[in-house]
Amino acid sequence: MIIDVHAHAGPWFFAMDVGAPDLGLDLMRRYGIDVAIVSAAEAVTYDVVSGNRWLAEVLAADPPDGPRRYGYVTVNPTDLAAAEADLTRYLPGGRFVGVKIHTSYPAQGLGSTAMREALGLVADAGVPALVHTWGADVWSLLDVLDAHPSLRLVAGHMGGPAWREGVAAAVRCERLYVEPCCSITDRGKVRYALDRVPPGQVLFGTDATLIDPAVSLGMVADAEPDDEERERMLWRNASELFGIPVRTA
Amino acid sequence: MLVGRVPSRHDLDASRPAVLAALAAAGIDRALTGSLRGGLFDARSGNDEVLADPSPPLIGVGTVDLRDALTAETELVRLAGAGVRVVRLFCAEQGAEPDFPGLRHVAALTAAHDLTVLTSGDVRRYWRPFAGRGARVCFLDVHAYHLADFVLLARDEPGFVASTRLLNAPDSIERVVAEVGAHHLAYGSGLPRFDVTPSALRLRLADLTSQDWATVSHGTARSWLTT
Repeated sequence: MIIDVHAHAGPWFFAMDVGAPDLGLDLMRRYGIDVAIVSAAEAVTYDVVSGNRWLAEVLAADPPDGPRRYGYVTVNPTDLAAAEADLTRYLPGGRFVGVKIHTSYPAQGLGSTAMREALGLVADAGVPALVHTWGADVWSLLDVLDAHPSLRLVAGHMGGPAWREGVAAAVRCERLYVEPCCSITDRGKVRYALDRVPPGQVLFGTDATLIDPAVSLGMVADAEPDDEERERMLWRNASELFGIPVRTA
Repeated sequence: MLVGRVPSRHDLDASRPAVLAALAAAGIDRALTGSLRGGLFDARSGNDEVLADPSPPLIGVGTVDLRDALTAETELVRLAGAGVRVVRLFCAEQGAEPDFPGLRHVAALTAAHDLTVLTSGDVRRYWRPFAGRGARVCFLDVHAYHLADFVLLARDEPGFVASTRLLNAPDSIERVVAEVGAHHLAYGSGLPRFDVTPSALRLRLADLTSQDWATVSHGTARSWLTT
């Protein structure tokens, strides 16, 4: 069983042909990924309302059998009215199980007022949020978590190049999870996280379809997790955090 | 691949036995290998390490310090005389910008000595000193996001090659092969600074013909040693 908590759907602006809605399902079958939580590339990078709507249509058209995709409602911290409307529109159906928030495309850092207000909305909605983290400002998430005692956040990319900081921040708060996917695979960083972060707070993500799942699966393999670490990281922690039912053999 | 010490990662074992073990675990047979000492501290003594131990499965790669292109002249002559065919440049690590005279000089020298260059740095900027010389250069940090820029360069430069290490979108490797040919790619692991299985698994599962796969996995690199 594998649950990928950091996946995407739809086209990107780079020289890659990954826009087909079904590509994510193809990659999941290829790599044995049973469940993925995806955000729309358009919602993350450009038009959040249009992208969320497109993703809802894609998920509704997924085949009933085989790999299962759930959705993130992408929130743009600079448009909280649209965020509130989309959270109300999509979360009750059960197919969207969390929120995705990026920092660079909306140009709002983790410590910005807009980000704090957006995460306040997420706290009120009662779902976890996958937050793009790319630097030592991952520590800013602790202030938001302190202000919202029910909020649960996933540090997407585990801080990126500042992955030691992502790990250190997660050690400080049981409601901060780390998800270490990254195209740049600094040697041993997954092992570093597994050795320090409480075992219930480490998640698996791929960044597919932007990045091939071989990258994240390879990083996990090189970390040589034991059976419990593998089970918790690859699916159990995500199942509990997002309330995703699983079928295990 | 490199051996030595990584100043920013004292937790990493980058010794020769450790990287040999990592290679073996990943099923990698041979590796072009340079010296971290040579790239980060002292080129000559680092090259001495490489020249002193040419035994398989590691194939020695020399280096020069771009911050002192005057000593680079004599060091390149020494390396070429010792049979070294490939030179690793640490452009990014040594802060040598693409328009620095020292880098331009070294690029000219390596081409004149018919040496293949492996270099770090963003290909969108570091192509400049090597272009128009008939140079053989492998850009080690070509990212999937920069694929279009690399393809445009490769159309004009038959000796430009990208490492597969960061060509990690679902179709990156296949797309470069389709656009400019497998001889513009070479497998790179980035050991000891990067996990090896991500790049190895991606290449093993690449949707290539057996001939193209052989070229990418070892054929391109072999050509540098026999040219």
